Amino acid sequence: MNSEDVILKIQDLEKTYPNGVQALKGVSFDVKKGEFLVVIGLSGSGKSTLLRCINHLHEPTGGKIELNGKDITHVHGGDLKRLRQSVAMIFQHFNLVERHTVLKNVLTGALSRTNTLSSMLGFFSAEDRQMALEYLKLVGIAPKANYRAGQLSGGQQQRVAIARALTQKPEILLADEPVASLDPATCHTVMDHLKKINEDLGLTIICNLHFLSLVRQYATRVIALRGGELVFNGSPKDITNEWFEKIYGEGAKEVHVN
Amino acid sequence: MKSIIFDSLIFAYIFMVAFIYAYLGPFVVRGDEDQWVGLLPMIGLSLILFLILGAGLNLLLKRGRLYTLGALLFEAEHIKANRIPTPLTKNFWFYQLMIAFVFTIAVGWDATEIKLYELFGYEGLFGADGQGGALGIFLSLVNPNWQILPQGILAIIETIYIAFMATIFAIPAAFFLSFFAAKNIMAGNSVLFGIYLFIRTVLNVTRSIEPLIWAIIFAVWVGIGPFSGMLALMLHSIASLTKQYSEIIECVNEGPIEGIQATGANFIQTIWYAVVPQIILPYVSFTIYRWDINVRMATIIGLVGGGGIGTLLMMYQGQALWREVGCLAFLIVIAVWAMDTASAYIREAIK
Repeated sequence: MNSEDVILKIQDLEKTYPNGVQALKGVSFDVKKGEFLVVIGLSGSGKSTLLRCINHLHEPTGGKIELNGKDITHVHGGDLKRLRQSVAMIFQHFNLVERHTVLKNVLTGALSRTNTLSSMLGFFSAEDRQMALEYLKLVGIAPKANYRAGQLSGGQQQRVAIARALTQKPEILLADEPVASLDPATCHTVMDHLKKINEDLGLTIICNLHFLSLVRQYATRVIALRGGELVFNGSPKDITNEWFEKIYGEGAKEVHVN
Repeated sequence: MKSIIFDSLIFAYIFMVAFIYAYLGPFVVRGDEDQWVGLLPMIGLSLILFLILGAGLNLLLKRGRLYTLGALLFEAEHIKANRIPTPLTKNFWFYQLMIAFVFTIAVGWDATEIKLYELFGYEGLFGADGQGGALGIFLSLVNPNWQILPQGILAIIETIYIAFMATIFAIPAAFFLSFFAAKNIMAGNSVLFGIYLFIRTVLNVTRSIEPLIWAIIFAVWVGIGPFSGMLALMLHSIASLTKQYSEIIECVNEGPIEGIQATGANFIQTIWYAVVPQIILPYVSFTIYRWDINVRMATIIGLVGGGGIGTLLMMYQGQALWREVGCLAFLIVIAVWAMDTASAYIREAIK
C-alpha cells in the first residue's frame, strides 16, 4: 500500500463522554483515497461517535487523527471550519432545515466560503448556485428545487442532504446510518447514489450501516466495532458467519434487505 | 415522602374544617372578622397538631395497606405496578377524595356567600318599585344611545393603538431576554444557569402581578392616561412573550443545528440558518396573539385610568348612563371579535 494513497489515518482514537461512558477505546485504521468504507456494529458500539470525532461534532479525548498527513486531532476556529468543509456529513434523520427550500438547503453547503452578512441576506455566488443546481440534478431532485424540504419524502430528503454535502466540495463524505430511517426500496436508491458519487466523482466515503446485505453490495472494505473496539478490518467477502456472531453477539441472525 | 406530606395535608385539612365547623357553627366564614382574628393563634396551633395527627394516621393506614390519595399520585412506578386493580369504591383514596371534595364545597359555599333568595327574588331583578333593577339596566344596555358612537370609535381606536404600541415595544426586549430564559441555551455552566434562574424569577413575579396593578403604579408615575396603560401592558407583554419565546427556543430541533455545523458554518450562520427558521413563525404567531390579548386587556386597564375605551366606559358607568355604556359595550364586542378572528386566521395561515 502506497502511503500517499492514505487520506485519513486514525490511531488509538479514544472518546470518553463527560458522563463517563467510554465510547471508543483506542481504534486504529487507515482510509485510502476513493474507498467506500463501511463501519458496522451494534447500536452503542461507537460507530456514530467515530464519525462525529472525525469532523469534531464530538471532541476526541485521546489518540490521533490525520487528514492528508496533517494532524487534525484538535482543531479550533478557522481550522475547524476548514476541516468540516472538507469532511462533509449526512445523517440518519437528514438534518435539513425543513422550512427552507431544497435549493436553499443545498446552498448551505457553501456557507463556509460565504461571508456571514451575505449568507444572512441569502446572497451566494453564481458559481455556488450553479453547483448546487448541478448536484441537485445529479441526485435527481432538480425539479423540486423550489419545494420546501419538509414536503419531500425521507429518501428525497436524504438525497438533498447528499447534494448539500457535495456542495461543500469535500474530500471525504461521512454517512451516519444514512438509510436507517428509510424503507427498503428508497434505501437502495440512496445507497446507489452514494455508490455513484464514490465511483464517478472519486469521493471517499465512510458509512455506518446496520444491514449486512447492504454492506456486501456496496462496501469496498469493512471495519467492525464492538464495545468501542475494532474487531474486524477487511473485505466484505470475508465476513463469515463466525465473524458475524463475533460482531453482533451470539445467536444473532442476519436480516436481508431486498 | 411526597405521598406522606400530601396525605398529611389532606387529613389536616379535613380535620381542620371539621373542627372549625364543630366549634364555631356552620356559617362561621360569614361571621365578623374580629372573632376570626382572636381565634387565629389557636387555629394555627391546632393546624400543627392536625398535621402531626394526619401524618400519624397516614403511617397507620400505610401499615394497614390502604391505598391513600398520596400513594395514588406519588408512589414509585414499580410499587404501583404491583398493585392489584380494584373497583373504584373499594379504594381508600376514593373516600378520602370524596370527603375532601364535599368539605371544600361546603366551605366554598360559605366563602362565596351564595344567597339563592337574592338570585331568584323580585326586588333585585325588577327594583323595589317595579322600575329599574338589573332588568332595567339590561334593557338600557340592549337599547344603546348611538349618539356617542363617534366618541366611542375614537376611544376604541386609541385602545387598539395602546395595545399595538405595547406589543411593538415588548418584542425586541422579549426577543433578547428569551435566549437567556431558555434552559437548553443556559444549562451550560452554573453562571449562565444562575442568570437563567434570576430572569425566570423576575419574569414570573412580573407576570403574576396583574396589568391592572401595574397600570395603577404607572398612573401615579407618568399620570393618568393612555401612556400609563401602554406601559403597564408593555411590561406584562415582555414577561409573557419572553416566557413563550423561550419555550419555543427550548423546543428547537437539534438535528438541523448539527447539520449546519457540519458544513463548516460559523456560529452566527448556524443560528441564522438552523435556529431562526425554526422559531420565526411561532414567534410571529405568539406576537399577534399577544396583540389580540392586549386589546382585551387595554379595555380593562382603561377602567383604572389607562386611557382608551375603558376610561370612557368607567365614566358613563359611574353616572349610571346605561344606554351609553351599551353603545361602548357594543363597540368592544365588535373590536374584540374582529381582532380575535383576524389573529386566528393569520396564525392559522402561517402555521
